[in-house]
Amino acid sequence: MNVLLWIGLIFGIPPQVQDTVHLAQVAVYAPDLSQFTQGQKIQTFSSIELKEYFGRSLGDLLQENSPIFIRQYGAGMLQSPSFRGTSAGHTAVFWNGLPINSPSLGQSDLSILPIQGVDQVGVQFGSGGALFGNEAIGGSLHLNSKTEFGKGFQGNFIQQFGSFGQFNSSIKAAYSTANFSSQTKIYRESVENNFPFNDLSQAGTPEKKAANSAVSQVGIVQDLAWNLDLSKQLKASFWYNQAAREIQPVMGSMTQDQQEDQNFRLVIDYFRFGEKSVLNLKTGFVQDNQIFNQSENLTRQFFLSTDYDVTVSSKWNLKTGIRLNSIQGILSTYQANDQRIETYQSFRFEPNQKIKISLNLRELLYQDQFEPFIPSLGADWEIWKNESNELIIQASLAKGIKIPTLNDRFWEPGGNPNLLPEESKSGEVGLNWTTNTVANLENSLTYYRMNVDNWIIWLPKGSSWVPENIREVLNQGIEYQGSAKTQFSSWNIHANWSYTWSRAISIKGIDGNDSGKGNQLPYTPQHQANGKIALEKNGLTFSIQSFFVGQRQVTTDGPRTMPSFQLVNFGLSYQKVQIGKIQIPVNFQINNLFNTEYQVLYLRAMPGRSFHFTLSIQI
Amino acid sequence: MKLKLNHLVWAIAFSTLLFSCDDSTSERPLGQYETGVLIMNEGAFGSNDGEVFHFDPSSKELKTDIFEASNNRPFAGLLEDMVLTEDRLYLVANTGKVEIVNPGDFKSLGTIANDLDQARSLEVVGNKLFISDYGPYDSDYNTPDSYIAVVEGLNGGSIKKKIQVSNKPEDLFTYGKYVFVAGSEEGKVEIIDTETESLLKTLEVSGNPQQFFEVNGKLWLYSTGAKEIYFQSFQLDNLSKASLLTIPLANATSRMAFDKAGLIYVLTSSGWPAYQDAVARVSLSNSTVETNWITGTGFYGIGFDSQRELLYLANSKGFQGNGTVSIYLKNGQLDSEISVGRGPSGFLIY
Repeated sequence: MNVLLWIGLIFGIPPQVQDTVHLAQVAVYAPDLSQFTQGQKIQTFSSIELKEYFGRSLGDLLQENSPIFIRQYGAGMLQSPSFRGTSAGHTAVFWNGLPINSPSLGQSDLSILPIQGVDQVGVQFGSGGALFGNEAIGGSLHLNSKTEFGKGFQGNFIQQFGSFGQFNSSIKAAYSTANFSSQTKIYRESVENNFPFNDLSQAGTPEKKAANSAVSQVGIVQDLAWNLDLSKQLKASFWYNQAAREIQPVMGSMTQDQQEDQNFRLVIDYFRFGEKSVLNLKTGFVQDNQIFNQSENLTRQFFLSTDYDVTVSSKWNLKTGIRLNSIQGILSTYQANDQRIETYQSFRFEPNQKIKISLNLRELLYQDQFEPFIPSLGADWEIWKNESNELIIQASLAKGIKIPTLNDRFWEPGGNPNLLPEESKSGEVGLNWTTNTVANLENSLTYYRMNVDNWIIWLPKGSSWVPENIREVLNQGIEYQGSAKTQFSSWNIHANWSYTWSRAISIKGIDGNDSGKGNQLPYTPQHQANGKIALEKNGLTFSIQSFFVGQRQVTTDGPRTMPSFQLVNFGLSYQKVQIGKIQIPVNFQINNLFNTEYQVLYLRAMPGRSFHFTLSIQI
Repeated sequence: MKLKLNHLVWAIAFSTLLFSCDDSTSERPLGQYETGVLIMNEGAFGSNDGEVFHFDPSSKELKTDIFEASNNRPFAGLLEDMVLTEDRLYLVANTGKVEIVNPGDFKSLGTIANDLDQARSLEVVGNKLFISDYGPYDSDYNTPDSYIAVVEGLNGGSIKKKIQVSNKPEDLFTYGKYVFVAGSEEGKVEIIDTETESLLKTLEVSGNPQQFFEVNGKLWLYSTGAKEIYFQSFQLDNLSKASLLTIPLANATSRMAFDKAGLIYVLTSSGWPAYQDAVARVSLSNSTVETNWITGTGFYGIGFDSQRELLYLANSKGFQGNGTVSIYLKNGQLDSEISVGRGPSGFLIY
């Protein structure tokens, strides 16, 4: 294969895969997110946790369960993540290892990544340019399919009804033998979103029903995997999601905009397992087509990559690889192509059982630009361990990079081909303490500090808007997360909570006398918190969940602030309805229990109390 | 920007003429916002955070967000124009509404909130409001359905009629029962008969008509072109064009101000690649122009205070946050600078 040849040429090492007989793979293989992320904060959501978010988006999951702030432009509308005070374009998003951010926008809309499409979500915090490449400045999101071999037939059908015309259906069928696995998911979501709200733009702020805000999404996900022989595995997945949305107007506007997003993603992986090594060949295709009213913006990305992961000795692990990315953009105002080549090397050193150190490097070439040095260095150090306690200290330093998007460089008019990449340097220190003395208790406390420079901002220049490398931002904050599992009489109790303090200060503004200098960035809350407690007994579960978002400034220097808000959700489910072999779990959920009036962004109406009833049939 | 005080004088003159037995308005004390300078902050696209600030030039006191302060709700729109009549101030939002407030205390008197698209300006004739509106965008971002909306009732109400006009109508001017429309895209001045609520006459003019103004009892229309600006005067008795003044000035924007003496201050913007903005000073009487009277970047609005002889120059600061207003003396010397709201674009000066 050509790809193998490249590896050989670049690193001067022939890819010697040891053909020793390997155990048959019982799980479909996926590289572990935490393999080389020593010293960095990672949060993962299992398929069970994701199940509770049926019919909701990735943005909802993260807002309610992580330190990430989601800028939400209305119910079912654009959701963009802000990790550690960075902007939407500072988050890399991967699906089965494939970067899926739009190359023209440089970001992903989390509202059109329905939870039904994925089986696992991983979140990596802080700059990750060396490990994950472009756009991993504030952090990265990792969405994965998780399938298995040897499980026979499994299927389920889920139907959800809810307030404001919500009607969601999903069907999943999986079949697997010892050497073949297939999983098909088809879903459809729709909501009228005709929720009542007080229209602040009108005299007397009358209650009105939201209009031009209906949303529907349909999608299909297919995952396939084969054990070709005892040491070779092939897997393939595709995901097509189509979202048709009316764009909810900001209060005071009468716009009737419509948007359709068609996203197609395909990834094929080939794994060859040696006794102490894994060779991966990966190819992928991502096509995003966004039709806003009549204007169409289409991008295609082709990926080809390979990496080789080897355990050199009991103390040393090494991974090295290359990724080729070809981008084609046919946008409403311009056409552009872009090619990128990345090479990366990761080393993990475990001098003893208590210490793990990783060093990652990446070199990135795009057009005529070369970024030769994107490193990260991190360590986990277990400083205390006994029968019931474990205390780990984590520390890392990392760099991140964001190549200006196609729109930044080529948009007509205004695109600026001379833009420099945005760059970040981040560091963090964290403590993780797990104990089972009173309950199964986990606590983690992280302090981070980050500098983002060459931050791109579009500014009006005469009659057009032009992007420039303007801003420099200093971010720092504290993230505290905890969870507990215990039993009280015959109840299983599970709780988790978190608090985030985030400061993101503009230290270089649009000009010398920018009065926003020294202030918190717009729409970046300093305080966020969330918590959840679930009580379970004999298949009956009650849960109460709440999240708090602190005040946000609308601009860096303006007087207008958005008030803080706290929402409470209530859930009730019963898992043990059964007819023969068929399980019929039922779930009832009330979101925004106290009917709190709030806006995440200025004048973007959000729904009050809503009821959702979910019925599943599992075979 | 589109300061209508002169219209006001005309309107009062005409209403006195037409309704001479009407018991005339009593002298009432001026409200807190009826002196000094109202600063119009357009707001940022997609945020609808337009607002009015009040500035007192003598005490230098600035009151922010005065609409919200008086009404306990945000303005919630992109503020395009402020039109003053005797006892009402009309705040015209490009996002499709008009807020009507008492000019003294900014308390809301009414709202026109439905069925407008991209409102630009307004005129009052008798008991009717005439609102210029681009109409909705079509799929190519053109506005083929521009109109003048007619509303009966000075405190707003529903739209009675939409009179089709040429694309992108901007400023309006009232003369008797006629409303003149600056048809900015197609180079037309359309004259509407407010009694029949229909288009009476169309005049072809040079350039892109932007704004009507009145100097020494004469009605002028300011229009922009790529290399020139145009001042067209009118013969009001037979509703026809009078003289045309063409002055060479490149990259003029729609934003201008004027003083009593016939000096016109025009914002220019060079665009790509230099992005140099300037204030050009034009003399109507002897057709001279000083191209780079003030230079800078980010200029977004301009106003002239004839009484205090001060020039107010607004800077949008890229719409990232607060804009600024620089105050210049008549000789072009910078006097002071204040931080204002988002996208300051015009002034109403008492």
